[in-house]
Amino acid sequence: MNTFDKVVALIAERRDLDTSTMKPETTFDDLKLDSLDKAELVMTLEETFGITIDTAEQMKTIGDVVALVEQS
Amino acid sequence: MIKTELCDLLDITYPILQGGMAWVADASLAAAVSNGGGLGIIGAMNANVEWLEVQVARLRSQTSKPFGVNVMLLSPFADEVARAVVQLGVPVVTTGAGTPLKYMKDWLDAGIKVLPVVPSVAVAKMVAKRGATAVIAEGGESGGHVGDLTTMVLTPQICDAVSIPVLAAGGIADGRGMAAALMLGAVGVQMGTRFLVAYECQVHPNYKKRVIQAQDIDTIATGRRLGHPIRSLKSPFSMEYANLEYDSAISNEELEAKGSGALRIAVMEGDEKRGCFMAGQCAALVHKEQPASEIIREVCEEAEILLKRACQWIN
Repeated sequence: MNTFDKVVALIAERRDLDTSTMKPETTFDDLKLDSLDKAELVMTLEETFGITIDTAEQMKTIGDVVALVEQS
Repeated sequence: MIKTELCDLLDITYPILQGGMAWVADASLAAAVSNGGGLGIIGAMNANVEWLEVQVARLRSQTSKPFGVNVMLLSPFADEVARAVVQLGVPVVTTGAGTPLKYMKDWLDAGIKVLPVVPSVAVAKMVAKRGATAVIAEGGESGGHVGDLTTMVLTPQICDAVSIPVLAAGGIADGRGMAAALMLGAVGVQMGTRFLVAYECQVHPNYKKRVIQAQDIDTIATGRRLGHPIRSLKSPFSMEYANLEYDSAISNEELEAKGSGALRIAVMEGDEKRGCFMAGQCAALVHKEQPASEIIREVCEEAEILLKRACQWIN
């Protein structure tokens, strides 16, 4: 499973979202996820990947999340 | 006397913080709270560094006790204010309207105690992991910017999730609220609405009158459509705003503009028609104007009596 697939699986799991519609350019707004959902995702990512994300405010799309995880 | 680890942590007598209410929490109120044995907080709101410097100097002329500054993270001056609290040697910083991750290292390195206000477990864990001194779990009963979760359910969950001290905020206006907060696992409370009617609070008399007259159903949260709801007392302004939220002919920008400046009008002019009187649901529990020191003592003494009496339920 590559990083994109792992991130999509983590995002989808929380709200029973349909992974087939998720693309790198899909935004949190598209998914109806707010800032608290984003905070929840950041902590899940940090615990899953053993990383620290300090620029969560830059995360607008799934692609942004994947990039942050890969850079960390 | 009630004494918790928060008292040692912040060098205060009573485990009570005063909320960093925009336009309300100035040097006068913060100094009175600190002199009363709690932790007074200057709300830096959308103000610039010059304003903050004046307030900090004024506070220091009135008290030598510890105090804090609330950094409102949505402020256009947040970056400058974040640097200024270090330069000014502010002992405690609380934050609101976001997560202060990008400032935390600088503040902690400078020896500042950092207490973010948090609306969820994940945000609490996030700031705890980055070294926060304590967190303030604020439920949606509070005034001003609000989250969805209530103090009753948020506080114990955050206590379970982090190993740093937790304070409770939202809906706490008397000793009953404080005692309950301690039982939920908090080591202190933050109160805003009760201090709105402190003698030393400089808001317009109409503001205080409205808080004192408020009943249980007299607050409303508006602005959900914009993603950052705020709770205020029902007024011609807030009810009209609530209606506009459902009006699809009004753009988000227009709605945002409509709310701009309304809190200042309430605080400075007390204008019922144009002002937004931010207050928590516990406004209905606030009955009279008092000195800040008396409020602090009264809340702690009430809580102490209740907690001592609690053993009666145990056979």
